[in-house]
Amino acid sequence: MLLALALLGFATTAAAASPVTRHEIDADTGLESWRVEAEGFSLELVQRLPDQTRAFFQGRGFDAVLADEIARGCVFQTIAGNTAAAPDAPVIALDLAEWRIDSGQGQRPLMLEHDWQREWERRGADPAARIAFRWALYPTRQEFHPGDYNWGMTTYGVLPGSVFDLHIVWRRGDELRQYVLKGLRCAQDIDGN
Amino acid sequence: MKLHRLLAIFFLLILPALPQAAQTLTPMLDQPLAPDFELTDVDGKKHRLADYRGRVVIVNFWATWCPPCREEMPSMQRAWERLQSDGVVMLGINVGEDEEKLFTFTADYPVDFPLLLDRDSTVISQWPVKALPTTFIIDAEGRIAYRAIGGREWDDPALLVPVRSLQRGVLRP
Repeated sequence: MLLALALLGFATTAAAASPVTRHEIDADTGLESWRVEAEGFSLELVQRLPDQTRAFFQGRGFDAVLADEIARGCVFQTIAGNTAAAPDAPVIALDLAEWRIDSGQGQRPLMLEHDWQREWERRGADPAARIAFRWALYPTRQEFHPGDYNWGMTTYGVLPGSVFDLHIVWRRGDELRQYVLKGLRCAQDIDGN
Repeated sequence: MKLHRLLAIFFLLILPALPQAAQTLTPMLDQPLAPDFELTDVDGKKHRLADYRGRVVIVNFWATWCPPCREEMPSMQRAWERLQSDGVVMLGINVGEDEEKLFTFTADYPVDFPLLLDRDSTVISQWPVKALPTTFIIDAEGRIAYRAIGGREWDDPALLVPVRSLQRGVLRP
């Protein structure tokens, strides 16, 4: 059972209604999650344990070194979509290249799929593993019509246990929306680091 | 207990609640021609999309490790049980995995409709797919009529209305 810890409201762009956000800790696993909902846009970020990510990618053809690099790059299971009930509601569009993280040392972009793929190319990662990676990571750009949603991993390029603010950007129809989700925490590794 | 079962149980424990999204299919306004393919199913039988021309085809791209794919698979089977007598075809195209993974999967998630193997992701790369699962409804002329990104409860009668409507168009003299 999930334990609701807080219901928080933050400001977003002037014309938009304030998103509803929720931070929870799973009573069984101890994993933390953050949820943002606003005008049909729904986003949930759930911590992934580094060991869980290592096992996933090693099981799909990555060697231990590469799987460890992904796992220690702060991975969140990410679920985003368009929860609007009306079939003609505005399309929600995401471009993760517009998102920024701030861990107290200035803003920087996420590690995106093409960043990783360049690295896998350079290091000769197994082609089958790269296919699995392609489909396991959250797509950089995507549009969601009402009823559409998607799951995938997002990676942030900071160490396990790091705390950061996430600047989220999305479009609802032609309108830009943005929001700062404060205090996201990467899952700790098994060694506590 | 095997490792994959342990991982599956662990995974289910952390499975977040799915968004309460509308049960809808998105109509494809331009209705592009569905890219043809020929793929082998887990029993070694070849399936060519063009061979199903004249029938409505549901094409589902999925993978065993993908949570919403697993979530929707039982409802796809139930939908298939309701639709197959109408002449609708359902094809599940697995991306990047092998027969062994699928045999293990179908032990837990038994399905009767064909599960095809797109091991090197050649087919999915030719389709307008960004994420798994994505499902397309192909009309009798081989055009993509509807699309669903993310899982659905496929046996929801409301969701099957457009599918049945397309198929009735096929049967109408």
